[in-house]
Amino acid sequence: MKMWYEKEGRDEDVVLSTKACVVRNIKGYNFPSKMDDKDFKSLLSKVDSVIDRNELSGGRATDIVNSGDTETLMKAQISGRDGSLLYSPDKKSIYYNQDYSLSIAVGNHEHLTIKAQAPGHDIGVYRLAEKAAVDLEKKLDIAYSDKYGFLTSSVKLTGTGLKILYTVAIPAIAKTEGGIAALRQRVGQYEWAIYPFADQGELNESGVYIIASVSTLGVSEDEILERGEKLIEDVTKAERACREQIATKKKTQMKDLYGRAYGLLRFATLMSRREALDAVSWLRLYRDYDDSAEFECKWKMLNTITQEVCWEQQRRGELNAQTTQKKRAERIRKILKGVD
Amino acid sequence: MRCERCGVELTNKIIKINDVPYCENCARIMGYGKFLRSPEEMLGSAFSPFDEIASSIMQMSELDFGNSALSCPKCGMSLREFERKGRLGCIECYNTFNDYIVKEMFKQQGESTYGGRMPGQTAELNGAGKDILPGKTADEGALEAPAKEEPKDGEKPAEAKAEDSADLKAQALDKLSKLEKADLGMLSDEDLQTAIKLAAENEDYILASKLRDELKGRKEGN
Repeated sequence: MKMWYEKEGRDEDVVLSTKACVVRNIKGYNFPSKMDDKDFKSLLSKVDSVIDRNELSGGRATDIVNSGDTETLMKAQISGRDGSLLYSPDKKSIYYNQDYSLSIAVGNHEHLTIKAQAPGHDIGVYRLAEKAAVDLEKKLDIAYSDKYGFLTSSVKLTGTGLKILYTVAIPAIAKTEGGIAALRQRVGQYEWAIYPFADQGELNESGVYIIASVSTLGVSEDEILERGEKLIEDVTKAERACREQIATKKKTQMKDLYGRAYGLLRFATLMSRREALDAVSWLRLYRDYDDSAEFECKWKMLNTITQEVCWEQQRRGELNAQTTQKKRAERIRKILKGVD
Repeated sequence: MRCERCGVELTNKIIKINDVPYCENCARIMGYGKFLRSPEEMLGSAFSPFDEIASSIMQMSELDFGNSALSCPKCGMSLREFERKGRLGCIECYNTFNDYIVKEMFKQQGESTYGGRMPGQTAELNGAGKDILPGKTADEGALEAPAKEEPKDGEKPAEAKAEDSADLKAQALDKLSKLEKADLGMLSDEDLQTAIKLAAENEDYILASKLRDELKGRKEGN
């Protein structure tokens, strides 16, 4: 079975994924930062007893860590890009469906973190998260007040407890002078936020950004979704316009960079994360304007490479840098060859 | 709150330049580093004027630590711990730190009232025709492709922009002082909404909650 991110998605030339995160807490327990071991044990058992086992697998994070299969959770973008969901595994549980598009984390900052993910632009993913949330709300005594809505440990989430996140690849806007500043202004008008996928390190200039909802108070869920829908349409339109401008104004340079980037990804033996994402961003920029038809470069391929490199498990002490780079290059070659 | 320049989430240190929030790193890159010296830097310099250090210490003593001893009777979370971590310890903390939580909500979202669904219910997607962009209709101001920033004829120089921003700030403060004295019953719901936003943007949380209560009272009255 294909993982959620291996499937086709709408507007996938720009939008890598849509995520809906819903957090909930259960009455009778402190929030995780003030819970003791006994509370954690009781919380995990309580939630485990109401989880729909026909839909979800998984369980105690300790068992997942001991089984050694943490890479799948990382690739499926469930355990956090630094794998932080798997820290202190004895105090957490993780449940997920077959294609990992729905997950429920227990005991991580909030009692319940329900996350639904879909490839490309798909606001309908909220429905998946909401269905799971409503199911749990019916079975558990959820912390809620008429004044503030759903009560959460983080005041930033109090209210709907909902966050919508789009991961977008916008190299053309990023390479256009003033592009990100203009986009940031527009995103702010919707009361949303935009920030780079990584502030520093190897991925900080990847052209990959997160666009996330901010408001959880004073707005209803459907208003958040509508704003997101409209906003992401604007972003997609702007990125495509910038690509067209760059591709037509600098055709020869772009054609050259496109071919070089493909060659690097297709034939390199060692590949750093920065190099891989830089090359993918050139392919993304010019892919729709290449009329040579000399090589096949599908959006799905580019998105798979981007997501796998961005969400790569960082192994400590297990593999040296050269071996890691070699494995990465092999994997990218495979994806571009279409044998994946 | 995030840095307007690089987008990093602002936690401990927020630097506001012309009311726009920046992280320390960006503020330094933008040339405001000389205003951001840490105590170590100041003390480390053999030529630091003593009165500069002394005035910093004087300022510190003026800070309000009056409620720093406040803590939650249920989980033991202290106000200072909450302010440092941005997370609460239990549901009871919402009662204990209510004023601070409301202030934090206004600071981050300009709102403290709930508008979402109830537990166990599903949200209705029935927003057709609603204003999508806060304060604008859906069709207004679609994002144009950000073009290369080139100097345009008639564009105001940076100094003029700064003056404009100072003017706007002064106008906002003037409006707020009028609002404080105004008979709130004379204001429309729409005016109240705008005023709440203005008060929150200018960090006048007491006025914001007063306006919010007025609006809420009207809604409940209906």
